Amino acid sequence: MAIVDLTSVPAEEPFRDESVWSRLRYYAASHPLGVVGALIMLVFVTVAVFADFLTVYDPTATNSAIALAPPGAAHWLGADYMGRDIYSRIVYGARISLAVGLGSTALGCVLGVVLGLASGYLGGWVDLVVQRVVDVLQAIPLLVLALVMAASLGPALGNTVVAIALPLVPYAARVIRSNTLALREQPFVEAARATGMSEFRIAVRHVLPNTLAPLIVIATAQLGAAILTEASLSFLGLGVPEPHPSWGRMLSESVAEYVRVAPWLVVFPGLAISLAVFGTNLFGDALRDILDPRLRN
Amino acid sequence: MRAKLTVLAAAILACASVANAQAAEQPKRGGIFRVYHRETPPSLSIIEEATFSVNIPMMAVFNNLVDYDQHIPQNSMSTIRPELATSWSWDKSNTALTFKLRQGVKWHDGKPFTANDVKCTFDLIQGKSKDKLRKNPRKGWYENVTDVTPNGDYEVTFHLKRPQPSLLAMLASGYSPIYPCHVSAAQMRTHPIGTGPFKFVEMKQNESIKLVKNPDYWKKGLPYLDGIEYTIIRDRSTAELAFIAGKVDMTFPTVMTPALVKDIKKQDPKAICEIVPINVSTNLIVNRDKPPFNNADLRKALALSLDRKSMIDIIQQGEGDIGGALLPPPEGVWGMPPDVLKTVTGYGDVKKNRAEAQGIMKKLGYAPDKPLKIKVSTRNLATYRDPAVVLIDQLKSIYVDAELEPVESGAWFAKIARGDYAVGLNLTGNGIDDPDQAFYENFGCGSQRNYTHYCNKDLQKLFDEQSQMTDLAKRKKLVWQIDKQIQEDVARPILFHARSGTCWKPYVKNMTIMTNSSYNGYRYEDVWLDK
Amino acid sequence: MGAYLIRRFFLMLLTLFGISVLIFVMLRLVPGNIADILFDAAGLIDSADKVKLEHDLGIDRPIVIQYVDWIGGLAHGDLGYSYVSEKPAIDEIAPRIPITAKLAALALTFSILFGVPLGVISAVRQNSWLDYVLRVISLSGLSMPSFWIALLILILFAHYFGALPIYTDPPKGFWNTLWLYSVPAAAVGFRSSALVMRLTRSSMLEVLRQDYIRTARAKGASDQAVNYRHALRNAMLPVVTVIGIEAAFLMGGLIVTETVFNIPGVARFLVEAIQWRDYPIVQNLVMFIAFVAVFINFLIDVLYAALDPRIKYAS
Repeated sequence: MAIVDLTSVPAEEPFRDESVWSRLRYYAASHPLGVVGALIMLVFVTVAVFADFLTVYDPTATNSAIALAPPGAAHWLGADYMGRDIYSRIVYGARISLAVGLGSTALGCVLGVVLGLASGYLGGWVDLVVQRVVDVLQAIPLLVLALVMAASLGPALGNTVVAIALPLVPYAARVIRSNTLALREQPFVEAARATGMSEFRIAVRHVLPNTLAPLIVIATAQLGAAILTEASLSFLGLGVPEPHPSWGRMLSESVAEYVRVAPWLVVFPGLAISLAVFGTNLFGDALRDILDPRLRN
Repeated sequence: MRAKLTVLAAAILACASVANAQAAEQPKRGGIFRVYHRETPPSLSIIEEATFSVNIPMMAVFNNLVDYDQHIPQNSMSTIRPELATSWSWDKSNTALTFKLRQGVKWHDGKPFTANDVKCTFDLIQGKSKDKLRKNPRKGWYENVTDVTPNGDYEVTFHLKRPQPSLLAMLASGYSPIYPCHVSAAQMRTHPIGTGPFKFVEMKQNESIKLVKNPDYWKKGLPYLDGIEYTIIRDRSTAELAFIAGKVDMTFPTVMTPALVKDIKKQDPKAICEIVPINVSTNLIVNRDKPPFNNADLRKALALSLDRKSMIDIIQQGEGDIGGALLPPPEGVWGMPPDVLKTVTGYGDVKKNRAEAQGIMKKLGYAPDKPLKIKVSTRNLATYRDPAVVLIDQLKSIYVDAELEPVESGAWFAKIARGDYAVGLNLTGNGIDDPDQAFYENFGCGSQRNYTHYCNKDLQKLFDEQSQMTDLAKRKKLVWQIDKQIQEDVARPILFHARSGTCWKPYVKNMTIMTNSSYNGYRYEDVWLDK
Repeated sequence: MGAYLIRRFFLMLLTLFGISVLIFVMLRLVPGNIADILFDAAGLIDSADKVKLEHDLGIDRPIVIQYVDWIGGLAHGDLGYSYVSEKPAIDEIAPRIPITAKLAALALTFSILFGVPLGVISAVRQNSWLDYVLRVISLSGLSMPSFWIALLILILFAHYFGALPIYTDPPKGFWNTLWLYSVPAAAVGFRSSALVMRLTRSSMLEVLRQDYIRTARAKGASDQAVNYRHALRNAMLPVVTVIGIEAAFLMGGLIVTETVFNIPGVARFLVEAIQWRDYPIVQNLVMFIAFVAVFINFLIDVLYAALDPRIKYAS
C-alpha cells in the first residue's frame, strides 16, 4: 500500500544548486513513460482548450443524411445515429470530460484535505468521527455511491461532478491524515509551537504545504478514476446529460445498440477515454516515483 | 340486427383466415416458443399496467369477452370477434350491450367461468369492489358504463349513459382481459390465473417468464405449443445477437430499430422481419398557462419550426409516419388522409413555414443574436432524449436556444402536473386505434392524461357527437375535423408516429404483427413451430 | 491484542450503523418513491390511489420510524417485502448472491493468476524492456472502462466465433457454468489483475531493498531463492490486503458487466432496484455488500495482527 504509507520525509536533494530545467530533464530521462503520459495529457488539454479551432462541425448538429456514416474523408471518425460528427464530439467531449474529471477531483481533494487535516491534526473525537465517516464512505462501492448520489441529485453537469467527487473524499482524507500524523511530531512543528504560533496557523502554514506532494500523487490517480466513473454513470443512463458531448454519454446505452452495425460509435469514444486515463496514469506513476523517496531508483 | 351481422362477418373472416393458414401447412404440435423480453415487467397484471411489457407475455394467459382477429393486421370494428362471449347485441336505445357467454370454460385453477367473473372484472376497474387495484390506468375507458349486470351465469349486460359503439373496441383490446372473481388483485400481479391458452408458471426477475400449455383450453385442439418462454435481455444489441445465434425464436415484438432489423436481415437472411406502426406518437406538451408559451403566436411559431420528415429520418431512419392525433392511413383507420393533413398549420413546406415562424419571432423581439432561451424537458430515457435532441437542433432555426432537461422517471409526470416546464417531449401509446380513446384520454377537459390542461368546450361537444355516431364514414369525417382543430390549436403537437420492427425465424408459423396497435396481438393460441 | 480486536470489532459495528443511516437517508433523498414510479409509468398523476399505496407500503410514515422498523426487522432476520415483486426481499436477494459471488471469485482468480506472477517478473527485471511492456499493459488495463472492454469482447466473439457468452438460461453442469462466467469474469478481472500486478511489483521492489534481502544475497543465496523464497513471501502481505478489498469492490465493475452480458446477479439487480426506488431491496443489498467489505477489512486486520509482529497495538 505504497500510496497510503507515503509520507513526505525530507529526502536527500541531489541537485540543490541546479536549475528547475535541469531537474526536469533529469526526471524526464529517468521516467520516459512519465514523459509519454505528460505528452498525452498535454494533447488532451490542448484539444479541450482549442476545440473551436480544431473542428468544422457543430458537435450537437443533427443531420439525417449522414446518420451512421462510416469513417471517411468528410467525417474522419464517422457519424453517430443522429448524424452528428464523432470527431467533433470527441474534441468537444474532451472539454466536458476534463471539466468533470478535474472538477470532481479538485472537489474531492479539497474535502479530503479538510477532513484529513482536521482528523490528523486535531485527533481525539474529531479524528474518531472523521474516521468513521471515511470508513462508511469507503465501505460502499464507489459506483454504487455515485449511482445513488447521481440519482438523488438529478442529471446535470454540476451534480455529476458532486456525485463523482464524494466517493473520492475518503482516499484523500486517509492519506492526508497519515501524513499529518507523522508531521505533527516533526521538530519544525514543535519549534513553531514553541514560538507561540496558533494551532490553526501551524496546520495551514507548516503541515499543509508538506502534504502537497502526496496530494498531487493522489489527485492524478483520481483524475483517471473520475473520468472512468463518469463513463460508467453515463453508460447506466445517469451522468452528464445530452446534448453535451461527454465521452461517457457517447458510449451510453442507446449507442451500445449500434455496436455491431456501426462499431465506430463505440470504438472511438472508448479509445478517447482509455487514452486520456492512460496518460494520467502514466504521468501519475512517474510523479509517485519522483515524489516518493523510498521508491526512487 | 346490425350487430348480429357484424358477428357473422367476423366469424366468417376468422374462419377464413385460419382455414387459409391451415390449407398451406398442417400445424405441428409441441415445442417451446422462445422469445426475448426487453425488461422485467413491473407486475403481471395487465389491467394495472400501461406497457406492452406486460401485455405481450400475459395476453396468452387470458381471454377477453371479444378480441381483435389475431390474424388481421389492421384492428377495426369489423375485425372484432367473439371470445368468451359467443355473441353480442345492442338494445334499441343503443345504451345496453348484452353478451351471451360461452359455457364450460374453466379457469386455470379448475373453477368454472361465469357471468359473475365479468362483473367482478369491471367492478374492479370501476373501483366498486372491495378488493382494490394498486393503480388503475384503464378506469377512464369505462366512464360511460353505469353498471355491469349478470343475467344468470351465462349472460351479462353493460349499461351505458349514452350510446358508444367504441365500447366494443375497448373491450377487444389486449388491455381488457377478464379476471376471475375468486383471485385477489394482489395475486393477479404476481401469479395471474386466466382462462387463456397458456398457464402462467413463474417469473424470475431479470431472467425469464415461463408459460405452459393449458391442456383444458376451451378451444379444442389448441394451443399447438407446449409452452412459451421469455428470456429477459435488457440490452437490445445483446438481444439481437441472441436472436441471430438462435437462442430465441423471435425478438421482442415491435421494439427493434430499423438499423437493427437491417443488420439482422444481413446476418440471417432467412429471418422474417416486419417494420410496422406501433401507434405510439412522439409529441410535445407545451405549457400554455405560463410564459413564454402562454403566447399563442409563440406556440404557432413552435408548430411552424418543425421538420417532421427530417426528425423521422434521424430518429427512425425513415421508418415513421407524419400525422395528427390519430394514426395516419393506410395502417391507421381514423387518421387524417394526406390531402387533409397538408392543410394543417405546420405540416406544409418546411422552408416556407420556418420563414413565417422567423417573422413571428422577429415581431416578438427575438433574433439570431438575441435568442429565446428555454428548456426542453423530457424523461431520461433514450426514446425520449433522442427526439428532444433533434428538436433542440431544429429550434435553432427560429432563434430558440434550448437546453435539454432530462427528468428521472418517477418525477416526470409529477413535474408536468406542477406546470414546472416550458416544452416537454412525451410519448403517448394508444391501446387501440380509436377516436374515443385518443380524444377523451389526451384532449378531454379534465382528463388525467390531458397534461397541458387544453380544454376546448366546443370540441368537447364534438367528441361526444362523434362518439355516438354509428355511421362509420360520417364519423370519420368528423374525426378528421376534430383532429385538424386540435393540431391548429397547438394542443399537443404530434412530431411523428413511430414504426418498429419484429423478427422471427421462418419456422415460427401463424405469427401476425398488428399494424395499428402494439397492445392487442399476442394470444398466440395457434402459433406453431415447424421444426 | 485481545483488547485491540474487541475495539476493532466495535468500530466495525459503528461503521455498519453509519452505513445503514447513510444509505437509508440517501435513498429517501432520491426524488420520487415507488408510488411515483409506478404511477408515472402508467401515465397517471395526482391520484388518490397513489396516496393509498404510499400508506399501504408505510412510506408515508416519519423517516425515523421507518428506520427503526427496518433495523428492528433486520435484527429478527426479516428484510421486508420487495415493493415491485411483492415477494419477501430475502427471496429476491438470496438466489442472486451465488451468481455474483461465482463471477467475482472467477474474476479474482483470474486477477491473481495473472497479476502476481507478472508483477514479480516486472519487479525482478525492473527497468528492463519486459518491465516496461508489462507496466504499460497493466496501466492500460486500469485505463479502459470495463463495460467498454465487455462490449469489445462481445463484438469479437459474435464476429469470429459465432457463439455468444451471454446468459439466457441458468447454466447446466460445471463446464457450461465456467464457459458462461469466464468471459465476463475476464472482462472484470482484467482490471483487477492490472491492479494486483502493480501492487505486487511495487511491494516486491520495496522488499527487495530491505536489509535482510541484502544479507541473504551477501550470504551467497541464489537470486532465485532470494526472489521467490524470501522476497515474495514478504511482499504478499500488502497484496493480500488489496485482493481482499478488491473482492468487495469488484461490485462496480460487475454492475456494468452483468448488464452487458445479461447476467441476473445482484449487481445489476441493485441498479434496477435503485431505479424502481425499491427501498427494501436497495437498503438490504447495500448493507450486505458493505458488510462483506467491512468484514473482510476486519479479517485482514486480524490477519495482520496475527502475522506481522511489527504491528503494535498501543492505542
